[in-house]
Amino acid sequence: MEPMIRVEGVAKKFCRNLRRSMWYGMRDIARNAAGLRTRSGLLRKDEFWALRGIDLEVKRGEVLGVIGPNGSGKSTLLKLLNGIYWPDAGRVSVRGRVGALIEVGAGFHPMLSGRENIYVNGAVLGMSKKEIDARFDDIVAFADIGDFLDMPVKHYSSGMFVRLGFAVAVHCDPDVLLIDEILAVGDMSFRRRCYNRIDEMKKRCAIILVSHNMFQIGRICSTTLFLRQGQTRFIGSSARGILAYYESVSNNANNEDREIRSEGPIRMVEEKHSLDGNRLEIDFIMETDPEHCEIPYGLSLTLLDASDHLFAQTNSLFQQRVFQGPGRVRLTIPGLNLNHGIYRANLMVYDAGHSRLFSMYRNLFSFSVSRRFVAGATVYFEDASWESLPNLESKP
Amino acid sequence: MKEGTELPLRTYEPDNLIARGWWRIFPDILRELWANRWLTFQLFRRDFLALYKQSAFGIFWAVLIPLVSVGTFVLLNRSGVFRLGDTSVPYPVFAVLGVANWQVFSTGVMGASNSLVRAGSMIMKINFSRKSLVIAAFSQCLAAFAVQWLLALLLCLLFGVTPSIWIAFLPFLLLPLMLTTLGLGFILSILNGIMRDVGNALGVLMTFLMFLTPVLYPRPASGTLSRITALNPLYFLVSVPRDLALTGHTTEWSGFWISSLAGVIIFLVCVCVFHLAETRVTERV
Repeated sequence: MEPMIRVEGVAKKFCRNLRRSMWYGMRDIARNAAGLRTRSGLLRKDEFWALRGIDLEVKRGEVLGVIGPNGSGKSTLLKLLNGIYWPDAGRVSVRGRVGALIEVGAGFHPMLSGRENIYVNGAVLGMSKKEIDARFDDIVAFADIGDFLDMPVKHYSSGMFVRLGFAVAVHCDPDVLLIDEILAVGDMSFRRRCYNRIDEMKKRCAIILVSHNMFQIGRICSTTLFLRQGQTRFIGSSARGILAYYESVSNNANNEDREIRSEGPIRMVEEKHSLDGNRLEIDFIMETDPEHCEIPYGLSLTLLDASDHLFAQTNSLFQQRVFQGPGRVRLTIPGLNLNHGIYRANLMVYDAGHSRLFSMYRNLFSFSVSRRFVAGATVYFEDASWESLPNLESKP
Repeated sequence: MKEGTELPLRTYEPDNLIARGWWRIFPDILRELWANRWLTFQLFRRDFLALYKQSAFGIFWAVLIPLVSVGTFVLLNRSGVFRLGDTSVPYPVFAVLGVANWQVFSTGVMGASNSLVRAGSMIMKINFSRKSLVIAAFSQCLAAFAVQWLLALLLCLLFGVTPSIWIAFLPFLLLPLMLTTLGLGFILSILNGIMRDVGNALGVLMTFLMFLTPVLYPRPASGTLSRITALNPLYFLVSVPRDLALTGHTTEWSGFWISSLAGVIIFLVCVCVFHLAETRVTERV
């Protein structure tokens, strides 16, 4: 099957200096008007490559995830695909209608009613009157704005505004769909509706999704492009792409100093951890001020994954374990079940009522788990087992 | 579901136009304008509705503005501050129709030149025809013109003037003026996108041009102003249609044709430059 999106050796440059950028722009326009080429593949003074050497293909039914730190060129790539920016080198080819969930509600006029704005927005997104007429009821139903349809948009809540914009955008029936981190908006039920809609559209379009949410990428995307400093660091299976990104993030995180906040009378002075397969064991040595040695306290350890999601916690107070005074404390987690990746631990010391935080140790230590990687998950039950059972006897 | 190969293919690469041949720019532009006619209308409708939605007078503001400016001139004339020359028809009819024609230029250029800047982040995020945006903004002046045209007819009745049959075809007589306006609007919208000074400067320039161009007064027979007027294409494009509409004849056909030709050339050059420049400018707006 022909790819719907094909990007071959594409590069895009920007200019650091605004005035010079204007000057270059005028010169390029003049050269084009005179029928001359602009030699755009070369850098002039103050220019830099925002994207360079990008190759990719997306077929119908495929979803390509694009991940990478801020400023890595993700949005620039979307704009190139959308034809808002022109490449300075290479070629972008796109087949069919391009839909973009980049800025919802573009062209909405606050004074006009929802009904009027549906038509304006639909037209901006490339729909014909006939198409909008045919889908009008679906759009209204999807947006779920009820009686507000004939009210000026300026009286809408921000959620309703976004819902209406999104509803128009997902009903323009594109062949190529570009999505830029838009799914973070709206309430939970709307967000679920959006996911379902995207799953539906997946069959008919080629989708490119830019997101910082690795769970989203892992769930929706078949392939992932990891960009960094405008260059392709990895393109291939989402699982490996996410892992490559995580590893590059953790390398930076490791350099951060351990952050300590300690106001209370109880402190942790030494920590020793050992990881044996699935079993994590940590010994802490606690210390108190002499005058407070009778104060009872509780401990809490939290684990964060590479994208800084706090996903697990173990708390001595929930197990009704209260410690007193200085000494050694051991924490054992027999079944960690962590996915392949790099993790960090934080320790918190509370008073016995769990109402006051005495001390907090961020980035206490980090550890890596290496096993088979599963995209879109933090915890991965390797020891879980599936088996097929004989069919239930049908009742006579 | 259509197979991939049937769908239109869009290719973006540097110096696309040169690779495909320069002459392709004209069919490209025409195709784009035609394909987006409904979008243009929707954008026009949006701005039109929004402009008058929260006002009691609505479109009749378009009537009030020429009446006030013409009224001021009548007052100045009566009190002898300055002498208006003789006009072939009663002055109010002459002046109102002049202002109606003139505002096609002034409102049109102002509206069009602000269109890209006013669209803001929309043009940075969505790929749609920016020419539609400019044309829609320009077209606001046509709505105002339609109302002022009716006002002029009403004044004709009131002052007992019998206009010529040309008045029915006034919009067609104004086509060269509209093309000039739209062309300048295209270029200025881009310049305004790059430098906001353009928008500010235009407001001042328009007032100046209006007094420089014999719109509210007849063309003086001699003097510096007469010589300047002879070189002012706007004068011919505004005034000849007015003369034809009111009296049925004009002595300035040659000026009108030369100015019209200039207008068409301005339009073609500007729309081509806009076409070449639009993507580079969106990067920099």
